[in-house]
Amino acid sequence: MPYAAREDVLGKLKKTDRRGETPSRPPLPPLTELGWGTEQLIEKFTENLVLQTGVVHRVADRAGALEKLTEIARAEGWKAVMIATDEVLAPLDLAAWGRANGVEVLKAADFTGRDAFKDAVFDQVDAGITGVDWAVAESGTVALVHDERQPRLVSLAPILHVVVVPVDRILPVYEQAVERILAARGGMPAHMTLITGPSMTADIQATPFKGMHGPRRVIALLIG
Amino acid sequence: MKIRTEQFVEIAREEMKNTRSKAFLGLLPPVINAMRQISLATFPDPDAAQAYGAAIRGEVVTRLPELLEEFERNATARGTKVVWARTAAEANAFVLDLAKKKGVAYVTKGKSMLSEEIGLNDALIDNGVDAIETDLGEFIIQLLKRPPFHLIGPAVNIAVEEVRDLFMEKGILAEPTEDPVALGYAARLHLRDKFHRLEMGVTGVNMAVAETGTIVNVENEGNIRFAKSSPRTQVSIMSLEKVVPTMADALHMIRLLCRNGTGQKMASYISFDTGPRAAGAIDGPEEVYCVIVDNGRADLYDDPVARDVFRCIRCGACANICPVYTKIGGYPYGWAYTGPMGQLLNPLLLGFSGTSDLFRACTLCGVCKSVCPAGVDHPRMFLYYRARDAAGDPKLRSRGRPLKERTLYDLFAWGATHPRLWRQGAKRMRPRVNRDARDGYLSRSVDSLDGWFRSRDLPEMAEKTFQERWKEREGRKANA
Repeated sequence: MPYAAREDVLGKLKKTDRRGETPSRPPLPPLTELGWGTEQLIEKFTENLVLQTGVVHRVADRAGALEKLTEIARAEGWKAVMIATDEVLAPLDLAAWGRANGVEVLKAADFTGRDAFKDAVFDQVDAGITGVDWAVAESGTVALVHDERQPRLVSLAPILHVVVVPVDRILPVYEQAVERILAARGGMPAHMTLITGPSMTADIQATPFKGMHGPRRVIALLIG
Repeated sequence: MKIRTEQFVEIAREEMKNTRSKAFLGLLPPVINAMRQISLATFPDPDAAQAYGAAIRGEVVTRLPELLEEFERNATARGTKVVWARTAAEANAFVLDLAKKKGVAYVTKGKSMLSEEIGLNDALIDNGVDAIETDLGEFIIQLLKRPPFHLIGPAVNIAVEEVRDLFMEKGILAEPTEDPVALGYAARLHLRDKFHRLEMGVTGVNMAVAETGTIVNVENEGNIRFAKSSPRTQVSIMSLEKVVPTMADALHMIRLLCRNGTGQKMASYISFDTGPRAAGAIDGPEEVYCVIVDNGRADLYDDPVARDVFRCIRCGACANICPVYTKIGGYPYGWAYTGPMGQLLNPLLLGFSGTSDLFRACTLCGVCKSVCPAGVDHPRMFLYYRARDAAGDPKLRSRGRPLKERTLYDLFAWGATHPRLWRQGAKRMRPRVNRDARDGYLSRSVDSLDGWFRSRDLPEMAEKTFQERWKEREGRKANA
């Protein structure tokens, strides 16, 4: 690509005189969510996710979460799952849980590279399990920062996504989640996703259904 | 993509006979607009939220060059390779060349209207690199070789039976079914392997954040996330107006895009890329290319009215409510963009010659403007286009109006600016014109103005002109 393309395009844009034309911004529109208290945040997060066919279980603590996970594993007949190793999941020690429950628990570090990891996450697991960086009550959304501990495909390729959400990570609106991520990392992470319910489409005759390319179901375990 | 804007009237006439399309289009205003209203009502002040969106987009238009430079600087600092393309050909050549260098047999495509605009698929496929559309709607119309029917639902008008036959023929479906869900799952299975083995993913861009150098995509299906997760190389192509100043602005525009586009509070997946994958990450691209495409836009930038099209965020709300679109569907617009935005964008990007029916197919009712979250004033622009077209503006590639129309209006203008002639002419014309009147109305023409009268009537000419009546009145007063 010739460097001239950049100069040409920017040159044309810059030669237009636009001084004094930038309109002033009206005041920032209000957001109801900012007034929500803790219990209301949990309630609204749940309500919004359920609207998207998400299933939400609330448990008291980590032990409760593992118990619920066992229940789900049995009901679903899990043989193998792929997990993230983020700071929410790490203290749950899912490796030990898997050994005790006869579920093969896989993680990115078990694989030599991208291709082997892809083979497993696409074809060999019954679910992907992740924690969250933050969750947003506004729309029942989870915010994930993707890095070594949070591979992108864990929450995308398996047919079921189980997401573990400590309730103190539920914030009212997206802006607050992004501000915290920016502050903690000193800038935007390489990759971040906002996930709201399962993958969906309505492209054939406007008939909506879940599970187009990504997960067909999302189960959230709220801890606390 | 074959440009068929010149056949606007012909195709519209055909489409209005299509009962299936009509049934679907009939549902658009009540259903989609109700969903849009309900989702907008989740804002405490929906009008303020829309107005703020319009202010953001207005600022983008006036600050475009500096925002692009800021985006480029920040994206480059984080390792994104920013590439500029003046034309469709330059953009396509870059992507093709990259695919060849990487030795990939195919790329997957996320839905990108820009790629339709520049004809990227054909450029790749004709040169031995398969380009596979992965958005379900785009996947179907690519196999059918049809243009998009709707901005958000490009294949939403296609009958299930037709999708069934298509999928059977292509070996995507094992057992025939007319269940849309089963058809969708068949496409899922078919495309899953493509995502699994993917080496290069091509996506569009919904927003590019200047402040952070971040590329944002909004989607429901997950195909774009796959294109950004599975392969080693990610190519994101954007038209140059996609930039927004800050991350906070992007989040506000995401709220508006989802509500106005599909009536959702939030789409399933929003993904944000700031450079290639994090160090040590097992998936995600090793290289991210962001191709900024001009394709004629920069030439329009010094036109203060025309450049307002750069506000558009491609939500499609204007189409869903347009009384013209909801009768004729997407095909008559003849190119990448459909509905009121197609009526504005297609003529600017293709030139007025060959597209002038598009901006005339409008009653200026203004409902498009009333729903737009980006502050586009469609009716004002349509009037501006018509005026520039009448003047034969070479910059907008107008070839002017036909000689007959021009002569007629020139005559009219000449007569109307010569009062004495006008008065005499009116007197002489009256009996001739009124001879064709029925019940006080003229519904066909004295001469060859039948086209004008096809959808309009004129009241017959009054016995006396206003001037004559005024004179008489003054005369009576003087005598009294």
